Amino acid sequence: MERKDKDLVLSRRAFLKTGGATCAVFLLAGSLPSLVKPAFGAPKKESIKDVLKKQFGDKPMSMSHVDIKAPIIAENGAVVPIRVVSDLPMRDDDYVKKIYIYAEGNLQPYVAGINLTPANGKADFSLRIKMRKTANVRAVLETSKGKLYEASRSVKVTIGGCGG
Amino acid sequence: MAKIGRIKIRVPHSITKGEVIPVQVLVTHPMETGQRKDKKTKELIPAYYINGVDVYYGDSLITHCDWTIAVSANPFMTFYVKAEKAAPLKIVYKDIKGGVYEKTVQISPQ
Repeated sequence: MERKDKDLVLSRRAFLKTGGATCAVFLLAGSLPSLVKPAFGAPKKESIKDVLKKQFGDKPMSMSHVDIKAPIIAENGAVVPIRVVSDLPMRDDDYVKKIYIYAEGNLQPYVAGINLTPANGKADFSLRIKMRKTANVRAVLETSKGKLYEASRSVKVTIGGCGG
Repeated sequence: MAKIGRIKIRVPHSITKGEVIPVQVLVTHPMETGQRKDKKTKELIPAYYINGVDVYYGDSLITHCDWTIAVSANPFMTFYVKAEKAAPLKIVYKDIKGGVYEKTVQISPQ
C-alpha cells in the first residue's frame, strides 16, 4: 500500500516535470514557424502606410479636388468598377501628371498608375480592379507642379477576388 | 476562351472639334495573378498580366498606364481625349510574357 502511494507521488512529480518540458518544447515550436514563415510562406502583406511613404516620402497630401466613384457593396471582388474624377485643370503649365490607385486590403496595395498629359482634356479615369476583401480604395493625384491630392472610399466585398 | 489580345474601342459617333470625348477600351486577357491554384493539379498558375498600356494620339504619347495583378481580367478602362485634330488614336498593350497587342481608331472631329 505504502509503496503504491510513493509510486503515485513520484509519478505525479515525473508527470509535472515531463509536462513542463513538453510545454516548453511546444512554446518553442510555436514561436519558430513565425520566425521562419515570412521567408517561405505566402507573400507578406505590404501595409498601405509603407507603400505611400516609399512612393511619396513625407510630402503633405490634401484631401480635396479628387472624387472616387465606386460601389458601396461589390458582390464580386474580382470586378470592382472604380472611377477617379478630379476637377483640377489640365492646362499646359499645370495639369494632373499621374493618378495612383490603391486597394488597401490587397497583399500588394498598388493597383495601377496612370500618366496623363494635357491632351487628355480632363483628369477622369475608370478601371475595373480586383479586391481581396472589404477595404478602402485610395486614389492619389500628382500634379505637374508636384502637389498631391488624395481621396479614399470604403468598398464592401462579399466574395474576394484574388483567388487561392 | 476568346482570343487573348482582342481589343474593342468605342468612341462617340459625332465629335466636334475641341470636345473632350470619352474613349472606352476592352481587351481580352486572363490577367493571372500568380496566386491562384489549379483545382486539379493543386499547383499555382503562373502570373500572366498586362503591365503597360500606351495611348498615342497622332504621334504623341498622351497616356501611359502601369498596371499590376490587381486589374481585373479582361481589363476595361475609360479615359478622355481632347479631340483637337483628325488623327489616329492608337492603343498598345504589353504583357509580362512579351505579348504586344494594339489597335487603332480614327478620330475625325467635324
